[in-house]
Amino acid sequence: MTDSALRLPRRASRKRKEGRSRWGENNLAGYLFISPWLIAFFAFAFIPMVLSFALAFTDYHILRGWNFIGLDNFQRMFYNDVRYWRSVSATVKYVVFAVPLRLVFALGVAMLLNTNRRGVAFYRAAFYAPSVVGASVAVAVMWREVFNREGLVNAILGQFGQSSIWWLGHPDYAIWTLILLAAWQFGSPMLIFLAGLKQIPEQLYESASIDGANGIQKFVRITLPLLTPVIFFNLIMQLIAGFMTFTQAFIITNGSGRPLDTTLFYALYVYKRGFETYEMGYASAMAWVMLAVIALLTAIVFRTSSHWVYYETDEGI
Amino acid sequence: MSSAENPVSRSLPYAGSARLSPPWYQRKAVRTVLYHVFVGLATLAMLYPLLWLFGSSLKGPSEIWTRQTALIPNEIHFDNYKNGWDGFGDISFATFYKNSFFYAGVGTLLTVSASAVVAYGFARIKFRGKRIWFGLMLLTLMLPIQVQIIPQYIMFNELGWINTFYPLLLPRLGGQAFFIFMIVQFIRGIPRELDEAALIDGCGQGGIFFRIILPQLKPVIITAAIFSFYWTWEDFLTPLLYLNSPKLYTISLALRTFSDPSGATNWGEVFAMSALSLVPVFLIFVFFQRYLVQGIATTGLKG
Amino acid sequence: MMKTKKGWLITLLVLVAMILPGAAALGQDETVELRMAWWGSQTRHDQTIAVIELYKEQNPNVEIIYEFSNWDDHWTKLATQAAGGDLPDIIQHDYQRIQEWVTNDQLLPLDPFIESGVIDVSNIAEASLAGGRVNEQLYGFNLGNNSETFIIDVDLLEQAGIEIPPIDWTWDDFEEIALKIHEELGIYAIGGNLHYSEHWKGTYITCCDAYAYNAEGDGLGYTEEQDQYFVDYLNLIKDLIDAGAIPPIEETIARTGLSVEDAYIVTQQAAMEYGWSNMLVAVWNAAGEDRTFIEHSVPSMADGYPRNYIKPSMFWSISKNSDHPEEAAKFIDFFTNSVEANEIMMAERGVPISSAVREALLPQLNPAQQAMFDFLGAVEDYNSPIRPPDPVAHGDINSNVYLAQVVEPFLYGQMSAEEAVALLRQEAEILLAQ
Repeated sequence: MTDSALRLPRRASRKRKEGRSRWGENNLAGYLFISPWLIAFFAFAFIPMVLSFALAFTDYHILRGWNFIGLDNFQRMFYNDVRYWRSVSATVKYVVFAVPLRLVFALGVAMLLNTNRRGVAFYRAAFYAPSVVGASVAVAVMWREVFNREGLVNAILGQFGQSSIWWLGHPDYAIWTLILLAAWQFGSPMLIFLAGLKQIPEQLYESASIDGANGIQKFVRITLPLLTPVIFFNLIMQLIAGFMTFTQAFIITNGSGRPLDTTLFYALYVYKRGFETYEMGYASAMAWVMLAVIALLTAIVFRTSSHWVYYETDEGI
Repeated sequence: MSSAENPVSRSLPYAGSARLSPPWYQRKAVRTVLYHVFVGLATLAMLYPLLWLFGSSLKGPSEIWTRQTALIPNEIHFDNYKNGWDGFGDISFATFYKNSFFYAGVGTLLTVSASAVVAYGFARIKFRGKRIWFGLMLLTLMLPIQVQIIPQYIMFNELGWINTFYPLLLPRLGGQAFFIFMIVQFIRGIPRELDEAALIDGCGQGGIFFRIILPQLKPVIITAAIFSFYWTWEDFLTPLLYLNSPKLYTISLALRTFSDPSGATNWGEVFAMSALSLVPVFLIFVFFQRYLVQGIATTGLKG
Repeated sequence: MMKTKKGWLITLLVLVAMILPGAAALGQDETVELRMAWWGSQTRHDQTIAVIELYKEQNPNVEIIYEFSNWDDHWTKLATQAAGGDLPDIIQHDYQRIQEWVTNDQLLPLDPFIESGVIDVSNIAEASLAGGRVNEQLYGFNLGNNSETFIIDVDLLEQAGIEIPPIDWTWDDFEEIALKIHEELGIYAIGGNLHYSEHWKGTYITCCDAYAYNAEGDGLGYTEEQDQYFVDYLNLIKDLIDAGAIPPIEETIARTGLSVEDAYIVTQQAAMEYGWSNMLVAVWNAAGEDRTFIEHSVPSMADGYPRNYIKPSMFWSISKNSDHPEEAAKFIDFFTNSVEANEIMMAERGVPISSAVREALLPQLNPAQQAMFDFLGAVEDYNSPIRPPDPVAHGDINSNVYLAQVVEPFLYGQMSAEEAVALLRQEAEILLAQ
């Protein structure tokens, strides 16, 4: 049977077929709809962003003022600053592990919870709960306790004969407490996946069942393709958020990035330079370097998206 | 016998088996039990730290640090809640709650509504320069806030808005990049057939937005509202800088002022108030997540 | 309209109507608004607010608007407000940071108010005020005296059969005692912050009567030959860690930022603790009434100079852009000299600098406060003069060099003490020369 409803959706090759000028350009309506954002942007965000960019080329010290110094900040950052490179490596390591872990847990659990079984509402709340705790003082204390020498993690590891470790003090392991914290708080991307899963029509699965598809086939041929816009979104957002992680690192390491700067995340280092030694010009320079890197990565992901993201509609941005 | 030919297997929900009764691992009851056991255990792992928080909030000062891993205190100290509630000076947590609700409630309303409107513009309308503005919008997410707050503060200071909620709420009239992007992605998942039909019927863009798209956005709007509420509830940096008077403090701010390494801290009270501050967010989640359940049964595809 | 007589009359009436209220107001006392910011924890917030209420009762025309936060937030906020030209009138300030704020012209000198008698210093020793002076002028008004201390758990020492050491004990004495405590009791001798920069500075004061930084603030204050003293100190710590008498660095770092209640001295996992003297109240509270502590001086290098000096725990400063500096000064005077106010605070910020206040408080002191007062009294008789304020580069050096590149890598075994100290000299000089 080749009913169109049963045909499982194919990849994004359909995208460019339908008429580009079908809708025509509708500048007035377009700008009208995005006007709230435009106005707010120019009123509140534009000037601070431009100013911080300008400050990156000065030696702005919060209490003193600024002088133009050209590219000196960048030179110092790349050639003279040991801690800078430590912060880069800590951040990269964190992103490489935390982002995939989070996304995998989020998707896996969302699929588990995408049912109408009894009690699923409770489970949903439970899995979202860790994210709600966020980055509060209480989380910091609690997480430290869990990784304490007498804490839960060591207790569990002890069952396997592993001796107790001072997690937060060990240069090789401290960053893992933060990676695990990120993985534990997968509630937000999970909810988004859940909303995306809900958008996939039941009929597709039913039809596929009738055709004899099993669970894995259904996942690969129906779920994944239709979920790609959401995966795309979550991937980009988690990447950006991962690189800019600040609060968790700040409260758990007490703002220090110890031990040995293995938890000195980039945003944390920016904060320290800006607010501890008041070198806001230098901090701005660092911030804009990070922006450039994240923007580049995001652009790459956007670029590749036309190959793997499938939209019901055929518009690109 | 293939599944296509066997009349029995056609109408049974499990694939490909010729038997009349399913193997034990496919029996519905067993699967249900397995599901609950597996998910239940995982839930426990998720919840343990939170249970610890609640348990500790009931512990007295002598127990908090001596019996750390224990979830259930030996003595229950409800007065942690009472004393914590009293706050500082004569400002109790009732004030902080009120401020937090105001900030999070109004903030969420503004953010989500504005984001939906803006998202429709980006997702459904072609107009010149769209790419540039969209890219710029994403860019705003990538600059760490630490280097923006000083210029922002100076700007708001000139406007005389320090010690008010204006700097916290007014920028939200434009939505927030995260939510705009999220809703854009969802709108793009909605097929255009209904839009086209409405256009033929003479509906304008506004009509399409309100009558066609918006109703279908329910899951994502709910999700956005949950996120926005919770993130605003937790936010402390902007309240720290712009809300000077303790009478305006939000809970997030108040909790941070409770403890300081330089002095004695009553941790029982800190935990109690932290636990209490989680309750509203949780309730909002529980209350709204039923809308996530409903989802979309059909998207208008002919079946 | 102005051309007619009626027009003139109306204009005149309007002008008068605008001026009258202002004129009427001039006749009364204006309400003065003062903004105030401090850091602390809940106890301090409650107490300070109570003192402010007290002041308001006695000065109804002064409205004090207060802001309070924890330590980190306080400085984040102040920096932002300074950039915006919007600092509060009265700011709680810190000895290690005040130099920078003065150099950048953010604070008002307080000497005029002392000279004019607005702030009464008749019961205050100059030594107590000295810590707040930068370039001879007073910018920070001492809120309570502090000194570095080793808090000792008397019972534990007794159990180990050790006598309380004399006030001029040395690090060698400490090593002996530490090893004995570990041997006899199986616990740590001390909680474990023996590697902070205070000890680096302390090494040079006690060995050589020298400061870590030189007088101009553009170089180190000790010679290369004298590097050896700090090498010895670092090796001492290493030996004690290896012997199990003090916690290893992983443990110390994993436990930073934990509260007083979790400190080893409270849980009896260590017999001593290093900190500032005003810590004792919190420690004793957490430990419980049945314990006994005393505060003791910090060891010196062998045959050296006294280590302890009297340090202001924190200051009140007045910001340069304050509209009502004199009212602010009056409040500072009240805070310092009013016995009633100090009875509310009970030395929470440190031992009061006014001898009259101290005397008035004596009968009301609890054991912890009593121990603190006793200790400060002892230090008054045996101390080094207060050091000059740290140069501006100190913050940078402390966090980016001393801890991050030198001492902590050394303690993690990544370099020898000699290498560490040489690196310190090299990097610090670079930063100081800027």
